[in-house]
Formats: sequence, structure tokens, C-alpha cells
Amino acid sequence: MTRVSLEVNGKKTSIDIPDNTLLSTFLREHLNLKGTHIGCDTSQCGACVVIVNGKTVKSCTMLALQAAGSRVETVESLCDDGKLHPMQRAFHEYHALQCGFCTPGMLMTAVALAKKGKEIDELSVRTELEGNLCRCTGYQNIVAAILAGAKKMRTQT
Amino acid sequence: MINFSFQKPTSITDAVTALSKSEDGLFLAGGQTLIPVLKQRLAMPCDIIDLGDINDLKGIVAKKHSVLIGATTTHSEVEASPVVREHIPALAELAGHIGDPHVRNLGTLGGSLANNDPSADYPAAVLGLGATIHTNQRSISSDEFFVGLFQTALDPGEMIVRVEFPIPEKSGYAKFPNPASRYAIVGVFVSSFSGSVRVSVTGAESCVFRQVSFEEALAEHFAIDALTDFAVPSDRFNSDLHASAEYRAQLVRVMACRAIIMIDEEKKQ
Amino acid sequence: MKALGSIGKSIKRSEDKRFLTGQGKYVDDINLPNQVYAAFLRSPYAHAIINRIDTSGALGSPGVSLVVTGTDWLKENYGPLPCTSRINTFVGGEKMKVPPRHCLAIDRVRFVGEIVAMVVAETKPSALHAVELIEVDYEELEVVTDPEEALKPGAPQIWDDIPNNLCLDFELGDRIKTAAAFDSAHYIISRKIKNNRVAGVPIEPRGAIANYDDDTKRLTLFNSSQNIHENRDAYAIDVLKIEKEKLHHVAPDIGGGFGVKNGTYPEPPLILHAAKKLCRPVKWVADRSESFLSDTQGRGQVSTVSLALTKEGKFLGLRVETVGNLGAYCGTIGPFTPTAGTARTQGGPYGFASIYYYAKVVFTNTAIMAPYRGAGRPEAAFQLERIIEETARELDFDPIELRKKNLIQAKTLPLRTAMGLDIDSGNFVEVFDQALSLTDRTGFSARASAATRRGKLYGFAIAPYLECTGGGSKEFAGITVRDDNKIELSVGSHSTGTGHETSFAQLLSGYLGIGVDSIVFFQGDTDRTPFGGGHGGSRGMEVGGSAVYEAASTFIKKGRLLAAYILGVENSRLQFSNGVFFVSGTDKSVTSEDLIAQSAGSEVINGEFGYGYLNVSATFEREIMSIPNGCHACEVEVDPETGGINIVNYWAVDDFGTIVNGMLTDGQVMGAVAQGIGQALMEESVYADSGQLMTGSLIDYALPRAFDVPNIRIQYYEEAPTKKNPLGVKGAGEAGCVAAPHVVFNAIADALRNFNIESLDMPLTSEKIWRTIHRR
Repeated sequence: MTRVSLEVNGKKTSIDIPDNTLLSTFLREHLNLKGTHIGCDTSQCGACVVIVNGKTVKSCTMLALQAAGSRVETVESLCDDGKLHPMQRAFHEYHALQCGFCTPGMLMTAVALAKKGKEIDELSVRTELEGNLCRCTGYQNIVAAILAGAKKMRTQT
Repeated sequence: MINFSFQKPTSITDAVTALSKSEDGLFLAGGQTLIPVLKQRLAMPCDIIDLGDINDLKGIVAKKHSVLIGATTTHSEVEASPVVREHIPALAELAGHIGDPHVRNLGTLGGSLANNDPSADYPAAVLGLGATIHTNQRSISSDEFFVGLFQTALDPGEMIVRVEFPIPEKSGYAKFPNPASRYAIVGVFVSSFSGSVRVSVTGAESCVFRQVSFEEALAEHFAIDALTDFAVPSDRFNSDLHASAEYRAQLVRVMACRAIIMIDEEKKQ
Repeated sequence: MKALGSIGKSIKRSEDKRFLTGQGKYVDDINLPNQVYAAFLRSPYAHAIINRIDTSGALGSPGVSLVVTGTDWLKENYGPLPCTSRINTFVGGEKMKVPPRHCLAIDRVRFVGEIVAMVVAETKPSALHAVELIEVDYEELEVVTDPEEALKPGAPQIWDDIPNNLCLDFELGDRIKTAAAFDSAHYIISRKIKNNRVAGVPIEPRGAIANYDDDTKRLTLFNSSQNIHENRDAYAIDVLKIEKEKLHHVAPDIGGGFGVKNGTYPEPPLILHAAKKLCRPVKWVADRSESFLSDTQGRGQVSTVSLALTKEGKFLGLRVETVGNLGAYCGTIGPFTPTAGTARTQGGPYGFASIYYYAKVVFTNTAIMAPYRGAGRPEAAFQLERIIEETARELDFDPIELRKKNLIQAKTLPLRTAMGLDIDSGNFVEVFDQALSLTDRTGFSARASAATRRGKLYGFAIAPYLECTGGGSKEFAGITVRDDNKIELSVGSHSTGTGHETSFAQLLSGYLGIGVDSIVFFQGDTDRTPFGGGHGGSRGMEVGGSAVYEAASTFIKKGRLLAAYILGVENSRLQFSNGVFFVSGTDKSVTSEDLIAQSAGSEVINGEFGYGYLNVSATFEREIMSIPNGCHACEVEVDPETGGINIVNYWAVDDFGTIVNGMLTDGQVMGAVAQGIGQALMEESVYADSGQLMTGSLIDYALPRAFDVPNIRIQYYEEAPTKKNPLGVKGAGEAGCVAAPHVVFNAIADALRNFNIESLDMPLTSEKIWRTIHRR
């Protein structure tokens, strides 16, 4: 067991965990943040994507201890006092989710992408989604939502 | 995943000492290969030594004729580096197409090289540019570094510190990705240094290699028509679920051409 | 009963918020106090005799509380998982052969991944560790994975009492009449057509938690199931041999299904057994690699398809002879897909006087096959549209004209097809023309020459499709008025991401004229819904929505009596419209919402009408299946140097009858088309000759990514609602999967018009395309 101290969704936390604890397990089982999902065991699906120090990572492919001292943001951080984040709203408006299982990873990827501030278009969004699989939507509405959500995020800042 | 003891030293010396003290320890760089391996219980080390806090392994610096990249520099850092983009744009492009954006945010240059996956992208750049691998013990030329399937010239306990990439006149990389894993079915790196040409191929055999016949042809005439109808022998190539040896041989030629086209397109910009 | 404005509108989903904020509740998000974890030892061999199992190491391992093998299982007198297919069209009077499918291998394993033992332990790692300590002495047997090979004399026999590995042979249609049509034909074109075996891969893996209440002697199963009622009956009655009321089956949020979560599986009864034995909750959630090995898979047919036609290109007859792969056992309705599932829609929207379908359904040493989104209709449509395209190609017919001239004319409807399918509505020619006009044919040559300039080959295809709904024919819908003036709507079927919370509430809101916000939706619980037909066969809106309609009708009928009482008028003078009960020409009126509010807490009303008077339980039973149809088209670009394919344009015109929520319907089309594209281009579940699964992870099994799928332009033909259900809906969930594979394949075939494509099969990987172009 080793004590891991890090900031998750703005809250400092310090917990003793087995050294081999994955960041995804830490979030789901130790912090009870169930929004981070596990869809595969080979780092392909992206349902577990969270943001660590501003960058998206697959939390199933990172040890919690690797993230010690980091700032971690999960899907639970997006909603501000019950008010949906612009990207969440865009996903809702554009029907960019069906079963919802890949959605947290998609949202975190989308938010990080939008925050990069680079010009994005349909093709670049599709390319940036290389690490996120969705089996329900055919991606079309996800791409549309990300474009709209990113635009909203730009105009709001 | 079997439990292990995790350490995060802050110096190369401490890391090397920790490994030497361990009965069965492994260095962890970005973990994008190692952690899946641990999860599948294909490796069961008792110690994991995370190199993420060692400053001497980080950073990108340009020298007069080369670019030095620290071993734990992530793919996304290389992709975004203005230094790399200026001096070896093909290397930044290559780094920007490894795995996916999330993998690139954690995966590192040193980790990729030490693993030497036969389908990984970085070995193609290192061999294709004739880079030098500086370890905590010595310097190894790329021609000697890649030994075989998942095998390198690294001794037990030896650690990659940084990689020195000579700045070419021009270079390009093209890969044909596996539709499932996104690893290279075939990736070809082409570089030219005042008349001498290096062409390296990843994905096709059990280990990255130089396509000498292409190098000779391109040294004579650096253009895609030098490679037209060039028969690539496929007898040593991999045949698997995703591509036969014969198809890989075709892709080696086509990806070499596309790497050259990429150079031409960059020139136009 | 007329619907109000909200029906037909693209109302946004009410379930979204919990999914968007990470508050969805999937099985893996549930933990029960004091729970233990199950892990399974799965066979590493495709075919072997189990001589001996030594569990002592596992039993002695720390944290282990239970180890169960096949021998233990039989001692409990548990039954096998049932096969509920009722197929009664056998050739030669032989009955379908259903071998016992026990939850654990008894003395022989028949596919890689079959469960040999279960371990239950305090933690998941300790359970997995103990699994590794079980020693099994296997005696390997010869393996057969290919269904055609399995039929050959001398092939390994998977079941001792089932000769030639043949589960059944099946026929539908008129063999003699079809033979006569072929005799009179000017042309006969025949091809061998393969439909690749694929994995469903919902992003949420399967999982379940079992719990036992020693006081009530009742079991509860939280399970990622698309079909809680039928699964419950099978687990309780057939396997555990308890009354079905003793098993409470709950499906929380389901992360995609596509058929994979429809049938029964061994893991739920095994953990139910463990929960009862240990008096502790038992949890199991599959890893993705475990899912690849043990989830049911779909398609996997090889067919010889022959089309007979006149000199002018009029279709005379169609003959399809199929070999369908079942896997090692009969899945819950495994034998359905290659038989009735593929037979019924043969002939599609074309006028055929005679069709004959024949199938051999075969056991192999592979994982169990079951319906996958479409379940036979994609196979049938692919067989038909490929043979038509090949016919056009070989005989130099214009593929568009050849199709159009053979389409069933709207004026001949209603009719019964040669396969016995009742088509009551539709306008196939109009739908075809609408699709064709979407595709901008005049711009094609410019797009094609631009591609040529870039060194690419360019192709186009358009094809209609016709399918039919399926799945459970009966559905429950209930309305309960709550004290807080809201009403609860519960429906027996379960959303796997398909938005029932929104669309069913939308229907009820429209019929009753109450706000969507006043409706609280419930699903996925056998204690709250007495029965349900599961989620499959595009039946959600067709059968479930119709049950909601029936519930609303009954509510209004009862509401009328209550309104009459409240308003003090004769019941017969009351009218109902736009959510208001009123007497024409007076100011006497009461809204549905008022009725709900007044009945909720009123003792007077309760006294007069009885408590819960406005509560309704309704049933809808489908008599005849609906016929969704449409026409899809696409354009592709092929890179001749690598064989890489890019789908440039994709158009869809679909006739799903009435559209309740266009936004949700679009989502169904987009997702299903993406799965169809995946099947056409990259997906295939591959078994080595040894029976090892070669595509056992997402590293080797390719799923479409965002850049593999184009934007789809979708249009609906809404002029022909069906009369088979009160809503006029035809079902939308699977159509894209039916329509896409052949249209993508045919567009690629068009791009490769100068090459010999005879040996091309799905998936059309870049290597196959390159080989075709370079004649290798």
C-alpha cells in the first residue's frame, strides 16, 4: 500500500492504495466516481478517458501512483452546480449519445480538444476521435456536437 | 494484475540503483505498452520503477546538426515541439500518428524504443535518421540498437537517457495502419543527408530494418519514379491476420513513395 | 384516439442528463454490501474431453469461498439453458436437434471460452488467481470450425448423437414452382455468397450481480440483459428449477446490446447458484477479451444464390441454399437466424412469383451464434442485392433499371410475397426514386473524374431493401398515478440506448395531452412489469409503443367516466381532444392533468371509483409483422495502390411508417449503417483451424472509428404508415444494418468494374481489394 495524493475534480484527496491500482480503478472504486467506464482491456475503446494535468489519458492504462500530485478531471467535473457544460449541452442537443457508455470518454476528449483552441473541422474532429470507440451513434452526431460545443466554449470564454 | 511495489525516483542514479536492487524490477516510462502487458499478466515484476519524475530524461534541445530528445518525452510533446517541427518535421508528424491522442499524451520515445515492437513507429524514425541512442552507460548507433523481435542492444539495467536525431536535409514518413490496433502494418521512413539516403521499414518484419535497395535507388535519383516497379522481396516479411507478406511488400514500396510525396508537399508549404 | 403535437417532434432525450454527467447506472456501477466476486475458468481448447479437474489448489487459495465444476452442477439437478426456437419446417421430417447446453462443460468442451469451472472469492484478483490454480486434464479432439467442412463425411463429430453436425435442415417456399421458373428462364446467374461472421461488441461488456434473500427465499439478478422476462423464465424455470416469481430480474442502464444481450448465458445462473449457496451477493463483469470469447456472435452464412430472369430482365425465380453456422450449441434462438430469420424476407421488395430457400444449420467448434442486429434480414438482403448486381454486371443490364423494373408496384399492395410475408403498405418505386434523386447522379461523372485525377477508382451503388420486424410479439405498458400528480409509465421492453424513456413518454404525453415532464418512466424490472418481449427485432416502438397507445386509450376511457363525474354531466356528452375532456358548446371542461391531480389524493374520488382508479395495465400483441423498407446509396473511392477504401457519400431514404421522434430515428439509422459499414469493410470474427479465436481483442477485431464512417443524409418516406399497429410505425432499429453492407459492397464492385471480383467476400479489407486489382 502506498499513499497517493492528488487533486480530483478540484478536491484534494489522499488515500492508501495498493501500488498496482489503475487510475480507472482508483476513480471508480476508491472515489466512487462511476462515470469513468471500462469497455476494453487493451487500451482501445476510450470509455475511460479522463484529463490529467490538462491532457487526456486512458485511465485504464495509467497507474494511480503515476498520477500522484496531478490534477485529474473526470466527467463528473463538467457539470457546474447542476448546470450542464456547453459540451454536455451540445451532446444533448445533437443526440450524440445513445447507450451513454462511451459518452464520458467522448466528452472528456471533446472538452480537451476544444480547450486546445485550435481551429477544428469535421475531419480533424474525426481524426482526434481515433482513440474513442462508439458502437451506437455512427459518430455523425458526436462529431456535430463536438463542433457545436467547441464553438460554444470559445464564445463563452 | 499482480501486485508490485512502485517507486518513483528523481534521478537516473537512483532509478538504476533501485532496479539493480530489485529481484525482478522493470522501468516504467509512459506505460502505454507496459501497463497492458501487466494487466494481461504477461509480465509479473515485483518492482515498478517509474521514470516520470527524472528531469534528466526530459526535454527537447536543438544543436547545430542534431535534435536531442529526452527518453521520457511524450509523443504529443514531440508532435507539438516547435524545435522538432522546424528541424525534422517528419519526426513530429510520425509522433503525431502513434496510437491515438490519449496514448500520445503518456507514451514516450524511450519506452517505445526499449520495447522495440515490430510494428511501432519510432524505431523507423530512429533507424531512418541514423540516430544515436544515449544511455546511462554508452552511446549506441541506431544500426546496432534494434536487434530483433522486442529485442534491443540494451543491457539489463541499462536505461535510455536521450536520443540524438541528426537533422536531415529532408525526411518523410508514411504508414499504413492496422484498422484495429492502429499500429503500422507497414511504415516507411525516408531521409536524405547531402546525398546519402536512409530508408527504414517498420511493421513488415520481426524488427525494423533498412531497405538498402531503396536507399541506393534514391541516392541516384531522389524521386518516387526511382521506386516504380521496384520489386520488394517478401520472403522474410510477416504474414498475419491483417496482411500477407506479399501485400506488405507492396505497401513497403507504396509507403516509401508516399513518404517522398510528403516531403515534396512540405516543401510546397 | 388522435395524437397531439408532440408525436413526430424531435424531442430531446430525458435520459441524457444522467449519462452526460456520469450518473448512469450500469451493472458494473452497482456494488452490494458484502459482495464476493466470481471468475470463470474457460476452456483453452476448442474440442476436448475433460478427464479430470483438480480444484484443490483453487479451494485452498486465499479468499476463495466456492469452486464449482460441471460435476458439481449436475449434482444440483440443474437443467440446461433452453433453446426456444420453434422451427417446424424440416426437410424429410427430421426434428431439430438441440443438445444440452449446461452452464458448465460437463465432460467435454466444444469451443474455446466455454466455462469449465467457476471460482468465487473475496476479491476479483483473488478469484482470477484461484482460477489459474485449477488443473484440468484435457484430451484434445479433432476440431472443425468451418460449417461447410463440418458437414463433410469424416468431419469431427461435435455431438455423438447428432450425425454430420447437422442441427436441422430447413426449407421455405415452393421448390417445384421455383424449379419450373428456372426451367423457363432465359438467364440464370449463380454465385457463392459469404456473409462474414461478426461480433456485436456493445461497448459495455456483459456483467451481472446475484443476490439471495434468505428471509424471502428470493433471488435478485442485476444483469446487462436486453430481455429480462424471457431470460428470467429460462434461468428460473429451466435451469434453477424454481418458480419464476422467486427470481427478481433487474436490468439497469445497458451499454448497448445489438442482440448480444438478448439470449441467455451461463454466467447468470452460475452466480445465482453461488449467491444462494454463500448467502452473499456475487458479482461478475466480463473483460473485453472474455466478451470476445463468450458473447454470442452473428451472421456467418455461406450461400449459393441463383437468380432466374427473362431475356428482358424480368425476375422469375430466386433460389438460395445456405449453410449457417450455429457454433457449438444452440443459442437461445440461435437456429432462428439462418432459417426463418433469413428466409422470410427473401425476394426483398421485388416481384418474384417463386422463391425457394433451403438451409442447413450446422454445429462447429466455435462460440455460440445468435441474432445480431438484423438477424437474417441483412444476410437475405445481401444475398439478393449481390446477385442482382452480379446479374447486371454479367448480362450488361443497367443496375438501376434492372432493379426498378422488378420492384413491386404500390398499386398491387397489399400482397403476400412468395415467402408468405404480408406487405400492406409502402411505395418502393417512389422510395427508390427519392433516393436516386438525393444522389445527384448528374454530378457523379465530375466526382468520379476528380477521383481519377487523384489516381483513385470511384464507384456508386443504389439498392432498395425490405425487412420485417421480429422479437417478442407481446408487450406490457402500465400507467400509475402518483401522489405527486405525476404519472408513472412502465413498459416491459428495455432500452439499450434507444431512448425509450423519451419516446414512450412522448407518445403518452401526446395521447393524454400532458407534459412530458409529468411522466416518470420505468423499465427493466420484472417486479414492476409483469411481462415484456425484450429488445430485439426493431420491435421497441412497434410493439412497445403500441402497448403505450393501448394504455393511453384505456386511461382516456376511464378518464371520461371520472370527468363526467367531476363535471356532473352525462358521460356520452363528453368529448376528448388536446388533453381536455369537455362538453361541446359549454364551458364545462377538465384536462387530463386536472384529472390526475384530482384523483391523486381525493378521498371522494377514491371512495366513488376505488383507489388507483386511473391506473392502467395494458397489453398489445402484434399479429402480423411490419415491413420497414427503404433505399440506400453510396459512393466510394478506392486507392488502387493500397486497396484502401473511403466511403465518400451515403444516402438513405427509409420508410418506417410513422416517425415518432425523427432525431432518435436518425440515431438508429446512423448507428446501424455504421455497423453495416463495419461488416462490409473490416469486421470479422476469425477462428484458426485449431479453433482458437484470432480476433479476441480490439487489437485484432476492427470496429469502425469516426473516420471510417461518413456523414449520412437521411430522408423518410412517411406517406405509407402500416395498419398493422395503431401507431402506423414499422420499426427502425435494424434497417441500417440490413441496407448498408450490400450497398457498400456494390459501390466497391462498381469502382472495380474492370477487374474480376468473383472471389471477393466481406469484409472488403484493403489487401483483398489490392489483390483484386493486381490479380493476385
